[in-house]
Amino acid sequence: MIPAWRGGLRGAALGVLLLSAPAAAQVIDSAPTRPAAVRTIALDARLATDAGVALGDTVRLSAIPGDSLGERAVVSALLGRRADPSEIARQEYRARLHLDQLQRIIGYGDRVDRFAVLSRGPEQRRTLLDAINGAAFGFKAWPSADIAVRTSRTFQVVRRFNRAIGVITIVASAAFLLCILLLKIDERRRDVAALRMMGISAGTIVKSVVLEAGIIALLGSVAGVGFGIVVAAIVNWHFQGVYRTTLAFTLVTPTTVVFACLLSVLLGVVAGWVAARRLVRVPALQLLGR
Amino acid sequence: MPVRLAILALVRHKARTLLALLGIAVSAALLLDMVMLASGMKENFQGFLMLRGYQLRVAPKGTLPFDSDATIDSTASLVAAIRRLPGVSAVSPVLGAQSQTTSTRDSTITAFTLGIFPDVQGDYELVRGSDLTDSTSLVANERWLSETGRAIGDTVTLAVGYDPQLRTVLGQRRFVVRGVARFFYIAATQPTIGMTLPVLQAMGGSGRRDRSSLLMVKAADSADIEAVRSAIQRVSPRISAISLEGATEAVEQRLGYFKQLALVLGSISLAVGVLLVTTLITIGVNERAGEIAVLRAIGVARTSIVGQVVMEGIVLTGIGALSGILIGLVTAQWLERILSDFPGLPATFRFFVFQPRDAGIALALLAAAGMLAGIYPAWRAASLPIAGTLRREAVA
Amino acid sequence: MSATVQARDLARGYTMGSARVNALRGVSFDVDEGEWVAIVGPSGCGKSTLLNLLGAVDTPDAGTLTIAGQRIDRMSDGDATGFRLRQIGFVFQRFYLMPALSAAENVELPMAEARLPRAERRARVESLLGYVGLAARADHRPSQLSGGEQQRVAIARALANRPALLLADEPTGELDAATGLEMIDLFRRLNADGTTIVVVTHDAQMAAAASRRIQMRDGAIVTGDGA
Repeated sequence: MIPAWRGGLRGAALGVLLLSAPAAAQVIDSAPTRPAAVRTIALDARLATDAGVALGDTVRLSAIPGDSLGERAVVSALLGRRADPSEIARQEYRARLHLDQLQRIIGYGDRVDRFAVLSRGPEQRRTLLDAINGAAFGFKAWPSADIAVRTSRTFQVVRRFNRAIGVITIVASAAFLLCILLLKIDERRRDVAALRMMGISAGTIVKSVVLEAGIIALLGSVAGVGFGIVVAAIVNWHFQGVYRTTLAFTLVTPTTVVFACLLSVLLGVVAGWVAARRLVRVPALQLLGR
Repeated sequence: MPVRLAILALVRHKARTLLALLGIAVSAALLLDMVMLASGMKENFQGFLMLRGYQLRVAPKGTLPFDSDATIDSTASLVAAIRRLPGVSAVSPVLGAQSQTTSTRDSTITAFTLGIFPDVQGDYELVRGSDLTDSTSLVANERWLSETGRAIGDTVTLAVGYDPQLRTVLGQRRFVVRGVARFFYIAATQPTIGMTLPVLQAMGGSGRRDRSSLLMVKAADSADIEAVRSAIQRVSPRISAISLEGATEAVEQRLGYFKQLALVLGSISLAVGVLLVTTLITIGVNERAGEIAVLRAIGVARTSIVGQVVMEGIVLTGIGALSGILIGLVTAQWLERILSDFPGLPATFRFFVFQPRDAGIALALLAAAGMLAGIYPAWRAASLPIAGTLRREAVA
Repeated sequence: MSATVQARDLARGYTMGSARVNALRGVSFDVDEGEWVAIVGPSGCGKSTLLNLLGAVDTPDAGTLTIAGQRIDRMSDGDATGFRLRQIGFVFQRFYLMPALSAAENVELPMAEARLPRAERRARVESLLGYVGLAARADHRPSQLSGGEQQRVAIARALANRPALLLADEPTGELDAATGLEMIDLFRRLNADGTTIVVVTHDAQMAAAASRRIQMRDGAIVTGDGA
């Protein structure tokens, strides 16, 4: 199987506990009051839904899969998932325990995987990093942003993939746009012939056709943006339902709108110019089929 | 005659036909890639799991193999119990851990380490050198060798269970590099080594004694896989027995985004292709309204005219689609290179696997699209009143 | 000799904007087998409308029309198409050859539609092009032919399936005088060989060459049969 190996992070062990919850979790007390010795946990809302566990229910926690013993804990809160693209495809569940309880259950002793440190201000961050890194052997401090970059490689791959698909789609769309505009302008050959016979200059005709093509392209791209917004909403609705996340899978941003419209207008103008030049070079009578 | 007339009609306007072919070809390429992505992943993954013929995996309860740090206890007795089950021909226990060694450049290299039994292992193939022969042997992948600066025959010291704060290890031993291996299920960029299972268990201290991360089970050729899986599941409540289908389903969930994206993009490219061909044919037919009226006047049946126009659509999409198949194979390589950068992806895994069936599906879809695209404009043109059209075309 | 064409009280009108135009008002006439009839009259008198009815490309609002023994005024579209393919040959003022096909292929087109065997088609194409004097131009496209040559090809195409009736709408309209005379000679030869012809024309010489003239005005026949 594909190993999701993350060196040293024992937090993953919790996944074992929670994935075994459907088998091991026994709701032994659904009453709202609980014995004083029983600790509380916060459970992934998706796990709660899938396992039929509700707030106030008591579950058993163990580090041994399939273990029917273990410590009891009461579900006191449900956790929603962050809209993190590196996590959405993973179907693992999450939970939060009191630190000492988790350490005890998994036999970790007085150990943790990492500390999160909140500095008093961004200007203090560098000093703090240096102080922590110089304090002792064996561990290193990073700014959270650096960690985010390192752990978002999955998302970066997906982004590059989507961008590649976008490039292919743009090439196809550009060919379509050029083709259709050439068709439309070719349809006007008799009009162009009549104008030439009236004495209208080739330059005027070309400018007029180019302007018309540009306007068609602009109007088309406005309609396309509207269509894109609708499709984006449908795509987001679908995938948010599939992955049970609030992550937006597709966004129509001002940058993409401007890029799409500019590219479309540019292609329209180029197509108009090429087609118009072809038409004005043909003798008018020939355009009329004589 | 209809094919010839269709080709002649298309050749009359070379520029627009070439552009349409380009658009259709690129759409066809995208469609092929998406079909390959949607269908290839599953087949590739199943083939990938079956590389050494192990149809079943046994993991700690509720987990997928190597999905967490959880391990299976009492491995020896569990292996013996599973081996005794009818229909089981081989069991390969595997333990995963991290090991550290010092490179020739004096840096510490962390490697993913597999403990296996070489006579039943299904995790790697030997590329050169020799396999594990004794408790001091190890095999490594190219990445480990290049990062550590080692070669076959070198002696190295490996440590397991390294505590970076206290600078202590649970176990440390000297090994001789015997061979170079290609690990099927590990990314080629991950330094990886293999040693015998009892050695790794011993080095891991009490926490690793008689434990494994995963058991790979091979069923006899005549065995009912699902029956064997169920029998294994009943051996212990602390394990999950996973069949090929179960594993595929689990991974498909993880990679389901791409399958769905493939379907969405494939549908869009097909729709856009239909739209273009419809537009092209509609305008072409409108231009030839007079010709079509003449054909009707001299007695050519409406169905013949529709057939000829539909044939134009099919010829256009057919030629575009064939070019698109070739372009699609090239773009698939490009997309494969992008996706192969996924962290932790095994070296042997492929997202895009070409099967002639996929090309057939893409071609058939496009041919159907071409046909549909031509029907409506053709029928409209063939239904225009002959006399009125002739009069209008004569005036024009 | 039986009448190839029997038209009785044909009427046809069109709506142009908000006005109703009666293009034909109660037209009756016969054309015998082997006859050459020219229909003449000023522009807008209904000549072309009448020709369209004879060619089964239009249907009358009233009246009956029998050609080669078949009632065509109420034929379905499919039947009318088949009738045009096998019984009618149409020659247009503007030739209307398929620009992408060669002369031979243009002539072959109706025969291919009528499912004639290929060998027979090829032989007949050769024969027809020879008849109209264009055997050497068989592989030329319409754009490579003069107006007269194109019209000859159009005539050969019209004769492809041995029609009972040849209809021509201003066949010399796009031709110069000399070529027009050549065309008249060809029509004369066709008629002498037994082809029944109805021509709509402004060309006085074409009209004079015909064996009978029908004069029309304002949608009705003023002289000639049925007047």
